[in-house]
Amino acid sequence: MNFNGTVLLTDDEPHIRKFVGLILKQLGDVRVLEASNGQEALEVYKRENPDLVLLDVNMPVMEGLEALRLLKELDPNCVVIMLTSIMTRASIETALELGAANYIRKDTPKEEIAKALTETIDACFDLGPDTAPPAAP
Amino acid sequence: MDDPRLTMTPFLGGRRILVIDDDRLNLRILSGILKGAGYALAEGDSGERALEQYETFRPNLVLLDVMMPGIDGFETCRRLKKTYGADCAPVIFITAKNESDDVVEGLDAGGVDYLPKPFKPKEVLARIRSHLANQALVEQQKHLVAQLSAANSSKNKFLGMAAHDLRNPLASIRGLAEFLRDGAVGPLSADQLDLIQTIHGASQSMLELVNELLDVATIESGELKIHLEGHNLADLIAKSVALTNMEASKKQTRVDFIPTAPVPTFALDGAKMRQVVDNLLSNAVKYSPPGSTITVTLGADLVARTCSFAVQDQGPGIPEGERDKLFKDFSRLSVRPTGGEKSTGLGLAICRKIVEAHGGTVVANNLPTRGCEFRVTLSLPA
Repeated sequence: MNFNGTVLLTDDEPHIRKFVGLILKQLGDVRVLEASNGQEALEVYKRENPDLVLLDVNMPVMEGLEALRLLKELDPNCVVIMLTSIMTRASIETALELGAANYIRKDTPKEEIAKALTETIDACFDLGPDTAPPAAP
Repeated sequence: MDDPRLTMTPFLGGRRILVIDDDRLNLRILSGILKGAGYALAEGDSGERALEQYETFRPNLVLLDVMMPGIDGFETCRRLKKTYGADCAPVIFITAKNESDDVVEGLDAGGVDYLPKPFKPKEVLARIRSHLANQALVEQQKHLVAQLSAANSSKNKFLGMAAHDLRNPLASIRGLAEFLRDGAVGPLSADQLDLIQTIHGASQSMLELVNELLDVATIESGELKIHLEGHNLADLIAKSVALTNMEASKKQTRVDFIPTAPVPTFALDGAKMRQVVDNLLSNAVKYSPPGSTITVTLGADLVARTCSFAVQDQGPGIPEGERDKLFKDFSRLSVRPTGGEKSTGLGLAICRKIVEAHGGTVVANNLPTRGCEFRVTLSLPA
């Protein structure tokens, strides 16, 4: 995998951002932007127009499903992967209905998280033969 | 018996008694006896009145005349029992003729006793006191059961929440330790690597404990849901065996899988059954002496429509008298893992609950020579 895009990583827990951020950086020359709630994610999205958004479900200020809905309103083509935990399994269905591309259980080992990220990126972006960054919007 | 509620004699003064008799004189005599003893009374002169009064007065005990115009005492009793079920107050019949047929019919109708006319005040009071005392004990019991089950469900809720809140940070600690260990931020010295591996190992086993606690909380709160899909049990076991062999080789232990008869694909919760197999195998490795072999067999009885798999080890077996503890929550036996591994004492309890949710059984037996066998038996569709 050689993914050279910008990823907006949204989670209210800093240790999750650090952990998932490290996984993202192994996928290629990835620029990681961070947000700690849905509100911040929307602001960063408008400003930076990232290629991929990772969105936690349970967050203060604005939770993930609401942020997902607003992101999709703003840009129906934005690619969003939900970060879920064991307690937010019920939200997965709603998230997929709202247009999330995939979901990742953040309490799984890093290899599994990396695999899910790779699969989604492969499915959503035409990366070409290990060269070009994803089509710039 | 430290709980005073369990030993205290119930306080009976002020208990409510509904007295029903169409004979005014009888009513007056009974009321006099009961009021004098400090009971709160409501009176009525027919079965119909009894049904009305019961609803508003909510007595602790009903005294009911048998022979009355309109619906008689037995029928009134049947209706009360039907309406209020197990919560209905005990009913004592007032009867002039204490012929055994009447007594039997009264008891069949749901009555607990009868008072023969003419009344002997001391006998009336003694019988009433005894039934009220029983009733009070039953109420206490119900109250206690309700309290205990509420306490148990808040324990489960707490367990679930605590486990959940611990889970994500633990997963991060484990994951970040892996990054360090794998040299993601530069090479490490041997000492640094040793420390990181300790952090990784500790967070890994804590995560396993938390996962098991969460499983228990889920199962106990009745939220264990089985999602049945067609699975090939042999494939499922083979995958688990392959993974376990990597762990087992560290203890020079080997796991052999011997499917004895083909088992058709049938409906299972794949992830949960895999958890059962993983758990039985990891237990077998934990308690096996280095250099020993663990054997997993799988077979089917196509006549009885069952299939079963068994994990046999060459460990110390189940100590005499500890078999009952095996499948209970948080129970660890006196035998210890051979490689200093950790055990929460929850794994087998979870296994049993998953297997039972599939309608199957899991049993453990010592083998004649050495070691023990855990056997899971499941029904095949007809």
